[in-house]
Amino acid sequence: MFKYIFKRLLIFIPTLFAISLLTFVISLNAPGDPVDTMLNKNAGGEGQASQKLATEKAYNDIRHQLGFDLPVFYFSFTNASCTDTLHRVPKKNHRDVLQRLAFQYGNWSDVANYYMQTKSFENTIYALPKTETNATALIKVRDYVSSLYDTYDNARIKTIFSNLDFVFNENPEIRTNIGFYIATKEAYNNMWVNSSPYTRYVPTVHWYGFENQYHRWISHFLVGDFGISYQDKRPVSSVIWDAVRWTLLLSLMSMILAYILAIPLGVLSAVKKGKRSERVITTFLFMLYSLPNFWIATMLIVFFCGGDYYDVFPAFGLGNLPDDAPFFDRFWETSFHLVLPLFCLTYASLAFISRQMRGAMLNVIGQDYIRTARAKGLDEKDVVWKHALRNSLLPIITLFASIFPLAISGSFAIEQIFSIPGMGKISLEALISRNYPIVFTVMMFTAILTLVGNLVADILYAAIDPRISFSSKK
Amino acid sequence: MSEVTDIEKKQQLAASDQSFWANVKKQFKKNRVAVFALKFIVLLVAIAIFADFFANDKPLIAKYKGNTYFPLLRSYAVDLGLAEWQYDLQNVEWKNLEYDWVVFPLIPYVPKNIDSDNAQSVSPFGEQSIKSTRWRHWLGTDELGHDVLSGMIHGTRIALFVGLVSMSIASLIGILLGSIAGYFGDDRLRISRGRLILNVVFFMAALFYGFGSRSYILSDAIAISFGKFFWEFLISMIIIIATMFTANFLARITKLVPFLAVKIKIPIDIVISRLIEIMVSIPTLFLIISVVAIAKPSIFIVMIIIGLTGWTGIARFIRAELLKVRNLEFIEAANALGYSEKRIVFKHAIPNALSPVLIAIAFGIASAILTEATLSFLGIGVPAESLTWGSLLSASRQNTGAWWLAVFPGLAIFVTVTVYNLVGEGLTDALDPRQKK
Repeated sequence: MFKYIFKRLLIFIPTLFAISLLTFVISLNAPGDPVDTMLNKNAGGEGQASQKLATEKAYNDIRHQLGFDLPVFYFSFTNASCTDTLHRVPKKNHRDVLQRLAFQYGNWSDVANYYMQTKSFENTIYALPKTETNATALIKVRDYVSSLYDTYDNARIKTIFSNLDFVFNENPEIRTNIGFYIATKEAYNNMWVNSSPYTRYVPTVHWYGFENQYHRWISHFLVGDFGISYQDKRPVSSVIWDAVRWTLLLSLMSMILAYILAIPLGVLSAVKKGKRSERVITTFLFMLYSLPNFWIATMLIVFFCGGDYYDVFPAFGLGNLPDDAPFFDRFWETSFHLVLPLFCLTYASLAFISRQMRGAMLNVIGQDYIRTARAKGLDEKDVVWKHALRNSLLPIITLFASIFPLAISGSFAIEQIFSIPGMGKISLEALISRNYPIVFTVMMFTAILTLVGNLVADILYAAIDPRISFSSKK
Repeated sequence: MSEVTDIEKKQQLAASDQSFWANVKKQFKKNRVAVFALKFIVLLVAIAIFADFFANDKPLIAKYKGNTYFPLLRSYAVDLGLAEWQYDLQNVEWKNLEYDWVVFPLIPYVPKNIDSDNAQSVSPFGEQSIKSTRWRHWLGTDELGHDVLSGMIHGTRIALFVGLVSMSIASLIGILLGSIAGYFGDDRLRISRGRLILNVVFFMAALFYGFGSRSYILSDAIAISFGKFFWEFLISMIIIIATMFTANFLARITKLVPFLAVKIKIPIDIVISRLIEIMVSIPTLFLIISVVAIAKPSIFIVMIIIGLTGWTGIARFIRAELLKVRNLEFIEAANALGYSEKRIVFKHAIPNALSPVLIAIAFGIASAILTEATLSFLGIGVPAESLTWGSLLSASRQNTGAWWLAVFPGLAIFVTVTVYNLVGEGLTDALDPRQKK
């Protein structure tokens, strides 16, 4: 038994590793720059050199703090046009463009040179004091330079260059700084002339070692440091703790309700198989099972929460009584807000559990020992509720283990519709705003709970049902 | 006990494939609800295919300025680039033309028509400012004046298409992996060392040349259109298949080296079972949303991801069936007759194991439709301009006074999901040998 559990726990490791990698890869491909989100950057193309330097410094600080200046993974398996030092380039959009340029031209040193030249050209332009005569030209040049960072398309870069040529020819004051511009142009042409696109077909492997983003994240995760939410800069653990309370409250309540109602319903519909009442119950349960709960939730809001019809229940949130209000007032206010979401969550699991219950019960009732019990002259009530029920409860109890992970991760739709600040809602928001520390943590925890849930279900099976034994397996 | 009788039954059934399916058909037909559900699905498919003819703003046939036109059929030709609009019909407002006589489709609106006279959500029973009953919005309109019924008819297309495409992908993966795991188990797949090494090395190379070197070509293609992406993806797949083919061709040569010719066992069942376990422990909706949130909204991406995550049920079913089937006598018989393994798997084992997969597919379609509806209800992954049942339903959240926006699209989702579930249920009963009398 212990050997079995130990073996299963060992299997968790590769599974969790695969899931963590999957999430990590998704986060890498996400558009947008998390450092910018963290900075709450309001894009300012225009600004003085000192201000620009300050933002750049703040950017690099946060980038370092989040570990984004590290290589991505332990190693990389790419084509030879990609460099192993790209991760040192600060901005994500710059990195994307540089990687693309390197891919197109296959000569990283020239691409890097072009980038450095553009950078120093930009710095000189920003260092120029603005005067009345050069203001418009200066702004134009700044715009053109920053647009150089955004494109890898040869035609577009050529257009930008010809625009720059025009501005430099027009304005003699700026023309004094043309040296940096010419160097940039030269660097670009070099890159173009020396292009060796065949490198993209040469596979290369780079080894980075343990100083990398994935290692940093997973090792922090393992010691319980889940990072900081990009949006509100709170620790992820406290964000999740606030949310999980509501989700747990809701799902535990709905599960208890569902079990209390589902077991008798399932038993009844199994016992009365073939009768009219059974058909009504089964059809009803089947309908419930197929009812999309976001539809029911929407209908409830339309018909019972203000709008043009009945105004019985509050539609959104959890009520907003102050924290110092009497406990019972707060309790009633919150309970009142939870009625509709609870209903929506309960009916779905009710239908599921009672259908399972029915199946299990039908299975048991067909067995020989029940016939024996009947033949013995036992009361039908005793046969059903004592002998049959006990055995058919086994799969239902273990069902709990597999439902539980869902109970923690919450329901996206229901929490979103009723604005309950639970796990479903925060993970949905985190996904949409690409707040990956939260996404990672929720994903990993759900996966761990699912794995543990499956294991617990299997152990429970063995514990309850003596016919199942792990030691004799194979 | 029951398993033994199960196998006996299966043996009987396997002995005569014909009678097995005939029997399933007979059992299924007894279930009147399931038969009705199946007929309903056929109706839904018809609505999806002919949606343009049920709800369209172009007349089916019209006599205008003395000429007879078939604008709806013409519009197909124009879309395909085969024809152009006749001079009189260029950029016309179909509704307002002075026809000699005209036959409009049943619902004279397409979902994107904006009826500004009936904007601000007009109720189906309310006063509508229309020319005649012919132009009535039978299920009301939404905030902007889109006809709800027309939206629902065209939404059928997306819903059924999602179910079809995603489950095709899922069945393909599920049947392939499930049958490999189930047929070979942990001890039957034996390949030579040389072949194994070549396959691993060439597989890395195949991925590199298929996707690594073509990453930008693929990502550019997906930004342009799905068709373009599909084409480029196909080229990548051809590169991969060609590479793997070369690997296995070269493997014949390695047999000359004794060390490389030694055959080793590959525990393929463990590998695939682990893969299934990983897929099952990932919260699927979570994964779908996280992928969809970073890609450009597209209904195709949603379908593909639902398909890529939805194969585990099918794989498990077919694996369990094959583990049972491969010990049956007829497989041994085929082996004894000297048939190759591939032939046994594809011609004998899989067709026998396929029946329970039908159940998984029926339920899978229901859940795929539900997932897509949930996503478009939450406004994720589906482009804003495409109208689906889920997005129609979500419109009612901003506009709680309009009950018809909540009731009808939701009812459509509910009914569709229910009929697929009913068919799945009917199949379960029909395929269960215990049910037979």
